[in-house]
Amino acid sequence: MARARISGAARLALVVGALAAIVYPIPLQLQGQTYYQTVGFLVLVNAMLGVGWNVIGGWTGQFDFGPQVFFAVGAYTAALLYAKLGVIAWVGLLAGVAVAIVLCAVLTYPLTRLRGHYFAIATVAIWMIAQPIGASWEFIGAAQGLFLPVQTHDSVVGAALSLQFSGPTKALGYYYSALLLFAVTLALMALVERSKLGYYFRAIRDDQEAAEGIGIDSRRYKVIARSITAAVFAAAGALYAFWALSVFPEQVLELHWSTLPIMATVVGGIGRLWGPVLGAVILIPISQVMSTTLGTGPLAGRGIDLIVYGLIIIVIAAFRPTGLLSLPWGRWFGRRRPAPA
Amino acid sequence: MAPLLSVESSTKRFGGLLANRDVSLTVGAGEIVGLIGPNGAGKTTLFNCIAGYMHPDAGRIVFDGTDITRTRPERICRLGVARTWQVVRTFGRMTALDNVVCGALERTSRVTEARARASELLEFTGLGGRGDLLAATLTLADKKRLEIARALATRPRLLLLDEAMSGLTPLEAAAAVTLVRRIHEELGVAICVVEHVMEVVMPLSHRVVVLDYGVKIADGPPETVVRDEQVIRAYLGGRRAAR
Repeated sequence: MARARISGAARLALVVGALAAIVYPIPLQLQGQTYYQTVGFLVLVNAMLGVGWNVIGGWTGQFDFGPQVFFAVGAYTAALLYAKLGVIAWVGLLAGVAVAIVLCAVLTYPLTRLRGHYFAIATVAIWMIAQPIGASWEFIGAAQGLFLPVQTHDSVVGAALSLQFSGPTKALGYYYSALLLFAVTLALMALVERSKLGYYFRAIRDDQEAAEGIGIDSRRYKVIARSITAAVFAAAGALYAFWALSVFPEQVLELHWSTLPIMATVVGGIGRLWGPVLGAVILIPISQVMSTTLGTGPLAGRGIDLIVYGLIIIVIAAFRPTGLLSLPWGRWFGRRRPAPA
Repeated sequence: MAPLLSVESSTKRFGGLLANRDVSLTVGAGEIVGLIGPNGAGKTTLFNCIAGYMHPDAGRIVFDGTDITRTRPERICRLGVARTWQVVRTFGRMTALDNVVCGALERTSRVTEARARASELLEFTGLGGRGDLLAATLTLADKKRLEIARALATRPRLLLLDEAMSGLTPLEAAAAVTLVRRIHEELGVAICVVEHVMEVVMPLSHRVVVLDYGVKIADGPPETVVRDEQVIRAYLGGRRAAR
């Protein structure tokens, strides 16, 4: 695979990026700011979701517009375990991931009979079914949802284990929690990409019949791919539940939990491990800046910020439909690529 | 000894069209069988039934003692049948090497092992040095070779080649014939080739089966088949005159 030959420039970019991500909130924190840490948190959450969505949508080529169902599953599972049984956050998060994987496998297996647009429509249908269930099921609080009781922790370790950060360090704590989850997700997906699964997913994307002809059970591997995506969404959902201190249907089943990561993936470079990361780093701050500048003042409430935001996405999509990561960065940054044979 | 593959009275119907009617066919271990016939004779339909992409309406298909009449393609591949496609179906957005790696992963889960095996097969099929190119950018002749390499990577005992030589220049076709011979001799794989170009099949095949309008009209050594009345009529269009 091309990624096995990682260039010096790419390695440098990785190290610089990682250091920047770690150091980024520190000067802000020292100045007493919190807003930009929260923007960073949202960037990381959406980057993580994008990396997860890339598995089903990018590598396997199956358009899934309903992964937010599993974001909700993760959020509800962790919140229920914590609010009703006092289960610690990270255990709840892992439980949410497990529930999402099982539920996704059961729901997706019949869907894999469908292809192309029909598969996409079916994923949306499942999301639409999930909404009234979330809004009417008393056990999970129906439309009111669940509230997570606040605990104050004196030690950093205690706060980190229970994902409960409060006061001036709240934004910082969630930023680093998201960074950890994002890094773990990225590392695991890098392993998946180089494994048998990564090859099989891309084979199904490129030609399902040919893939079956060389022994690939396409339905089985589509279920595996979507379950990996579901696992990532559930982990992010659990983190989000503790950040928001509440879980209710309109919030965790919100459509933007799939549209933002999908846009980040497409803008950054679909089917590339780092594509969604680049996309999220670009799109999420733009949307925040747009809503705080164009979304306020005399033009407030007219959606000008959304129009400008949409235009930026259209421009990128029109000029580089394969994503920003597909630009010839290697050539621009001095590395001489071997001429194509 | 029972043949490696035996198709017993396979019938496949598409609405009012009988694509295969009572077709029986055997391929022995280590045999090269040519399957020929004019366009629309039902050759590809028969291939699809053998490889599990379609299931016959009546009849039975047995591979190495296992009934595969209703088995799915990926299971049939695992049993040891691999195919190539009339209209090439490479994994276009993957490199040539990765295409073959996908095939090799059928017999091992270790990617490094699969890559080593894939490199060998690219050399064997004459694609050495082209492993890093995207499959979509290869020439038609190279794509057909790549499909053969990918199929061989699954370690088949029977290889089904669906018009592996059509659309090639005479020089490329000759190279493809040489490759098929080497697969047979060096890897010991039984081969069933579909072609409608007689000149390609006759020197290559140990035995030739002729289909016409979904029915088997001849089955025997190439030199007998070319002299068969019915075969000549089917190919030269004497049908109308004979009526």
